[in-house]
Amino acid sequence: MDLELTDEQKLLSGSVETLLERSGGDRGEVWEKIVEFGGLMVDPEALGAVELCLIARNLGAHLAAIPYLGSAAARYAIQAVDEPPAGFAALAEVPAAVAIAFLEPGGGWTAETLTTRLTGGSLAGEKCAVEAAGAEELLVVCRDDEEPVLALVPADAAGVELTAQDSIDTSLPLSRLSLAAVAVGSDRLLSGAAATAAIERLEAIGGLLAAAEASGAAATMLALATEYAGQRRQFGRTIGSNQALRHILAEMYVSESASWSSILYSAAALDDDAAEARQSASITKAFTTRASREIAHGAMQVFGGIAFTEEHDAHRYLRRINLRGSQFGDAEHHERLLGRALATSVKRVANA
Amino acid sequence: MKLSLSPEERELQAEVRDFLAAECPRHEDVPHQLDERIAYLRGWQARCYERGYVGRSWPAEFGGGGRPPAEQIIVDQELAAAGAPEFPNIVGLDVLGPSLLAFGNDEQRREHVAKILSGEEIWCQGFSEPEAGSDLASLRTVAVDKGDHFLVSGQKTWTSWGQFASHCGVLARTDEGEKKHHGISLLIMDMDSPGLEVRPMTQITGHAEFVELFLDEVAVPKENLLGERGQGWAITMYTLGHERGTAALPRQVRLRTWLDRLVSEAAEREVDGAALLDGETTQVELARAMIGIEVLRHHAYRTVGEFLKGGAVGEDSSTVKLLSAEAEQLLTSTALDVLGPTLFDGDPERRAANEFWYETYLYSRAASVYGGSQQIQRGIIADRILKLPVS
Repeated sequence: MDLELTDEQKLLSGSVETLLERSGGDRGEVWEKIVEFGGLMVDPEALGAVELCLIARNLGAHLAAIPYLGSAAARYAIQAVDEPPAGFAALAEVPAAVAIAFLEPGGGWTAETLTTRLTGGSLAGEKCAVEAAGAEELLVVCRDDEEPVLALVPADAAGVELTAQDSIDTSLPLSRLSLAAVAVGSDRLLSGAAATAAIERLEAIGGLLAAAEASGAAATMLALATEYAGQRRQFGRTIGSNQALRHILAEMYVSESASWSSILYSAAALDDDAAEARQSASITKAFTTRASREIAHGAMQVFGGIAFTEEHDAHRYLRRINLRGSQFGDAEHHERLLGRALATSVKRVANA
Repeated sequence: MKLSLSPEERELQAEVRDFLAAECPRHEDVPHQLDERIAYLRGWQARCYERGYVGRSWPAEFGGGGRPPAEQIIVDQELAAAGAPEFPNIVGLDVLGPSLLAFGNDEQRREHVAKILSGEEIWCQGFSEPEAGSDLASLRTVAVDKGDHFLVSGQKTWTSWGQFASHCGVLARTDEGEKKHHGISLLIMDMDSPGLEVRPMTQITGHAEFVELFLDEVAVPKENLLGERGQGWAITMYTLGHERGTAALPRQVRLRTWLDRLVSEAAEREVDGAALLDGETTQVELARAMIGIEVLRHHAYRTVGEFLKGGAVGEDSSTVKLLSAEAEQLLTSTALDVLGPTLFDGDPERRAANEFWYETYLYSRAASVYGGSQQIQRGIIADRILKLPVS
C-alpha cells in the first residue's frame, strides 16, 4: 500500500523532462533521443508500466508528437508472452516504431467483434485511427476463424495501404489502413491463449499510456492557467483572487491529482499482475478521460478569449487530450464495460 | 511502490477476518435506543481494543499497540468491509487522541490515551460555534485566566456524541492575538463540570447524534491545557488534516460495501417485469458510482504514503476529503435514482432496506460540510498548493 515513486522513478521522470525541454520539439529529434535514452527498453528490470506511464505523462506535458504510445504498448503487451515468435521477440532488440491497428470503421474498442481476418497466413480487412506517422511496424489486432490474433506487419509490406484521415489532433496524424491479402509469416503471428492474454494486456497498457499522456497535458494546462490567474488583472485585482476562479482551479487540481494517483495505482497493479489489473485500468481510463477534458475546459475558462485563438497553445492541449481520451476506449465505453461487469458480479435470483 | 501486503500483514488480515466472522455485531444486534446503543458500542470498542485492533499504531507506553500505521489501516479496512458499526469514541480516536499524542504532555497521555482507546472515556469536540462554522477562527468562546485555572464561557455546536461524552476538547480564546487565529487554545474539559449544559439536536436523519454546549464560567484547571497556550489553531489544523487524510481508506471500503449492496438490490428488484440491474443506464450509473469510490481508493493510497512513513498528512488531505465526500454523495444519490419507483411500492418486506437507503442518503449530505466544507477545502488548495493570490 505505497504508491510513492522510488528515487529511480523520480530520476527517470526528471531525465525525460529535461530531454524534452532541451530538444525543442522537432519530431524526429525527440523520437531519436527517447530511443537513445532507453525509452523502449520494456522489461520488468528496466521499464514496467509505471515507468512507461511516467514517460508518457512527460510526453503529454510537452505535447511531444512521436510514435511512443504504440511502440511502448506493443512491447509491454508482448513482453509477458512466453517464448514469443521471432518477429515479436525482435522488437526487444531494435528500436522500431510500432503503430497499433485496432479500431475498425463502424466498430468499437472490443476485440471480440473485429472483422479483420487472418486466413491461411493472409491478412485482410480495414482499420482506422492508426497513428502511422513514422511507424515501421503495424501491430494488427485481428481474428482467425475462431479467436483473436496479433499480427506484426511491416508498414511497407505488400498489400498494406495507408491513407490519411481526419483527426482532432493534427499533430498526430491518423490513417486508414487497408490490408489486402497481406502475407504474414508465422514468426510474426501470435494466436491462441497467448494472443488473447497479450491483447488484454495491450488494451490495459494502451489505455493507461493514453491516460498518462492526457493527464500530463492536463497538468500543463493547470500549471499555465494557475500562472495566468496569478498575473492577469481585471477590476483592479488579479483574477486568481476571485473565489469563482480559485475554486475552478482547485477542482482542476483535485481531478489532476486523482487521475495521476489512479494511473499509478493501475500501472502498479498491471506490473504486479494483480487480479484487479484489467478492471482497474478501465476505471482509470474512464476517470482520466473525463477529468482531463474537464481540466482543459476549466483552463480555457480561466484564460478567457485568448485561449480561443489559434496562436494560443490551449487548443493544442485540448486536442491531444481528446485524442488520447478516445483511444483504447473512451469514458462511455469503459463505463459500459464496468457496468456490465457489476451486473454479472451478483448471483441473479432469476438464474438460480 | 508496493500494492500487495507483506506475509505478516496478510496474517493480520486473516486474523481480523476470523475475529469479525465470529464476533462482528450484525445490524440487528445493535440496539436502536440511543443510550443502549452507546452502551453496546462501548462494549464492542472495548472488545476490539483488547484484541489490539484499536490504536494499533499508537505508542505502546501509553496503551497503544506500537505497531506500524499500515497495520491499523488494514484492521480499519477489514472492520469497514465486515460492516462493523462505528466505534462510539470516533472523535477521540480520529481527532483528539491524535492531538494528545502529538501535542499533549506525558501526564495527559498517561491519563487519557488508554481510556480513549478502550472507550472508557468518550470524547467530543467543542470546535464550531453558531457564529463560527467554516470561519472557525472567529470563535467567541473565551477562557479567562484565573491563576491556576481558566473560566470558560461561550456556546459550541455540532458536538457529536456530546451527551455521552466524558471529556470535550474545547477551542477557546485565551488571549487577543495579532491575527484572529492567534490566541486560541485547546482545553480538555470534563463534561461533568458545573456550568456546562448539554442540549441534544435532532438531525435530518431523525437521530440526535450531536448536541449544543452552553458554557457558563466553566472552570478548567491549567494542567488541562493541551499543547502551548495559543497553539490551539495549529493543533486543530494538524488533527483535522490527519482525520481527512487517514479516514478515507476505511471510508472507501464502507462505500464499496454499500455499492455492492445496491447492486444486489438492483438485481432483486423489478420494474415493469425487468430487473433494475438489466437496464444499461442503471449499469452505467452504478459504474460511475464505482469509479468515484475506486479512484478515491487509488488517491488515498498515494497520499497516505507520507503518513505511513511517520510523517504528517499534508495539504493533500484536502483533495482526499473532496473526493471522499463526492464519492459518498454520488453513491447515495445513485441509490435513490437506481431503486426509483421500487422505493415507493409500500412492500413491508422492503421497509428496512428502503430506510437504510434514505438514511444513508440523508446522512451523506453532511459529508460535504463537516470537517471543513468542500468550499473550505478548495480554498485551502487554492492558497497552499496553487498559491493563488488573495488580491
